[in-house]
Amino acid sequence: MRALPSPAGLQAVGLRKIYGSVVANRNMSIATQAGSIHAVVGENGAGKSTLMRLLQGVERPDGGEIFVDGVRVDFTNPGDALRHGIGMVHQEFMIAPDLSLLENLVLGEEPVKRSWGPLSWIDWPTARTQGQALADQIGALIDWDQRAANAPVHILQFVEIIRLLRRGCRTLILDEPTAVLAPVQVDELFALLRNLRTQGTALLFISHKIGEVMALADEVTVIRQGETVFHSSVAECTADEISRHIVNGELHHVANDEAPQPQSELLSIASLNARSVNRSHTLHNISLTIGSGEILGIAGVAGNGQNELVECLVGLRPSSGLVTLNGIALSALNPSQRRRHGIAYISADRRHEGLSMQASIETNVVAGSHRTSPISHGGWLNRAAMRKIAKDRLQALDVKYDRPSDPVSTLSGGNQQKLVFAREIATSPQVLIASQPTRGVDLNGIAAIHQLIRDFRDGGGAVLLISEELDELIALSTRVAVIADGTIVGTVKAPASNLPLIGRMMLQGAAA
Amino acid sequence: MQFEHLIASAIMLTTPILLAAMGGLINRRAGIVNIGLEAKMLAGAFVAVIVSSATGSWIIASLAAALAGAAIGWLFSLSITRAGANMIVAGLGLNILVAGVLGFILSWVYRSSGTLRLPDVALLPKILPSGLEFVPLVGPALAMLDPLTLLAWMTTGALPFVLASTRIGLWIRATGNASEMARSVGLQHLTIQDFTTACAGFFSGLAGAHLALVSLGLFNEGLTSGRGFIALAAFYFGRDRPITTAFACMLFGALEAAQIRLQLEGLPPKLIGTLPYVMVLIALVVVSIQAQRKSST
Repeated sequence: MRALPSPAGLQAVGLRKIYGSVVANRNMSIATQAGSIHAVVGENGAGKSTLMRLLQGVERPDGGEIFVDGVRVDFTNPGDALRHGIGMVHQEFMIAPDLSLLENLVLGEEPVKRSWGPLSWIDWPTARTQGQALADQIGALIDWDQRAANAPVHILQFVEIIRLLRRGCRTLILDEPTAVLAPVQVDELFALLRNLRTQGTALLFISHKIGEVMALADEVTVIRQGETVFHSSVAECTADEISRHIVNGELHHVANDEAPQPQSELLSIASLNARSVNRSHTLHNISLTIGSGEILGIAGVAGNGQNELVECLVGLRPSSGLVTLNGIALSALNPSQRRRHGIAYISADRRHEGLSMQASIETNVVAGSHRTSPISHGGWLNRAAMRKIAKDRLQALDVKYDRPSDPVSTLSGGNQQKLVFAREIATSPQVLIASQPTRGVDLNGIAAIHQLIRDFRDGGGAVLLISEELDELIALSTRVAVIADGTIVGTVKAPASNLPLIGRMMLQGAAA
Repeated sequence: MQFEHLIASAIMLTTPILLAAMGGLINRRAGIVNIGLEAKMLAGAFVAVIVSSATGSWIIASLAAALAGAAIGWLFSLSITRAGANMIVAGLGLNILVAGVLGFILSWVYRSSGTLRLPDVALLPKILPSGLEFVPLVGPALAMLDPLTLLAWMTTGALPFVLASTRIGLWIRATGNASEMARSVGLQHLTIQDFTTACAGFFSGLAGAHLALVSLGLFNEGLTSGRGFIALAAFYFGRDRPITTAFACMLFGALEAAQIRLQLEGLPPKLIGTLPYVMVLIALVVVSIQAQRKSST
């Protein structure tokens, strides 16, 4: 059995990084300690990822110094950092989906009995013993023979952590590790990280969820506009204080203002059923109604049928049962026909379904309207009209961009999502189906998007809001329906005062 | 007796497809779809005839053919991995280029259009002692067994283990599956891809040597007649697994043998000649329908 790496510290002093005319980092200082979890928080674009690239050796700083155990180091590539015991768990996991978890674990440093260079036979029993020993130490349950593509996402994360430990890492950098996890998985990850801390690993935890920072971290550093602006032990500061430092006092507070009373019933779903296709969740007997001027929230633990419900409603997944909008049956219509009847859709998967990342900003914002006048002129695209409409739509929602012909991937997460809203509400739809609308969006972006949803409601629209953020559901929804195991287990009015009930229903289903 | 000879010729005709398919399979596992197998086969056949005639040794000739294939494969790979060429376009280009260059050499150096006959070409030997013709069912096949056929089947048998349990095997699979990830753990993913393309060239070169040296001892421009593409179909059909791919190769080899038999029976030769290719098409359609069914349940 291999012991866990011994205590160590990574320290950065006054790091500076300049790209062309843009100063990404101007004065970054941070220190990790063995056996401590250090959270780094800041808005998107504050310079967190640049800092990580510098600490990991992907890029070299233009100024400042990095020390490992008090010795000055100069990383020229990630391999250098790895050799000094610094490893990074990326947001997009470095995992080969077709290989088993054990194969993923040893890749790049395979144990062999006799070395014949690349032709050496891999010593699988030793590999398994090493992996299992580390998994036991940090308290992870892993089926090593499972194909990575079939493993739950938090298990992949654990495998990546174990891989770094196996390669001798004593400092782990985790880049927003909870962004892709469901709440229960987050709990498992946190338990594991606490074990790592106990065993003397230094952890640098990047996040923009303050709740997580308060729950997990020992120390916190706030980054704003390329500078470390605040540092404190978590015990000695409050969540509000951290929030203030993140946005420099400009935080728009999220609260549920007095919602107008819903008017007439707009969207009605009656006994909707869907069977499982491609390991999707089945849906049983879902009945819901949303009135105009109402926001209906859907709460639930991730993977309980939320995505399937959304796909059924927008016409991407076959279902039985009756869905009507203003009395018109939608069930037999395809997505584009449903859109014409007034359904708008904010996809949870912005990068693949919500936007075409490689296409230009203007193309993305007018997509869907390209068949109608004035953009379509006798079957030809009218470029000038397209550009004008794109500009109007972007301006109406205050989307910040450089040139409309730039690829949409150049925008920040918040601006990408605002662009999606700009496109979806431009055609004055009646129903907005918004799935995880603020995922991967920074705090100010979240506030702007919440306001857009409220404005849509105030204009008489109906909103179906699916979110894993309970705070968001409570802040916005008139009512919250809870989905568990593919069925609606209950609907709660006045969600803000019934939070414990919602939580119980999410976890225990209809039994609560 | 008829049937036994059919088996023998089916096995003989399977060998070049099998060799090329194993090479292409390794290549595809590393993430490169090699549609230039045909070109390397043709070049291998050409080199094999010339070297065999010059040295009188089938071993040197086969080795030269394999190395020629590997060299072409390696250059081809560089154009994809380092110069960023599209692998399909580059593969098509390679097929046309090699066929053109060989035609040019034929007419310029050997003053021949299409066929190269050289004196003293050493053919592949039979490796088993004579007298086996009378073993029931497989007698003629055993009697005709040549060293490259043996090598092809040994490769097929060893490949699953090499891919599953050697470091290079794991590297190849990781590269094909998630090249960025392979890079991040410190593997030279482009070099691994180049190596596998050279492997594909090596085995395709051997396949060409087998085609040229197994019975005729001559080269002509239509010698490979699409076998590189049939090999490609074989490993698609076999979903990149060596054993299932080998079965697919045997199916195509058997169809070719049957097709030759049917032509001898007096059926229209051009029409019958399309049989293996039509079967390839049908097989690929069946596989893709099955794959679609599987993914939608």
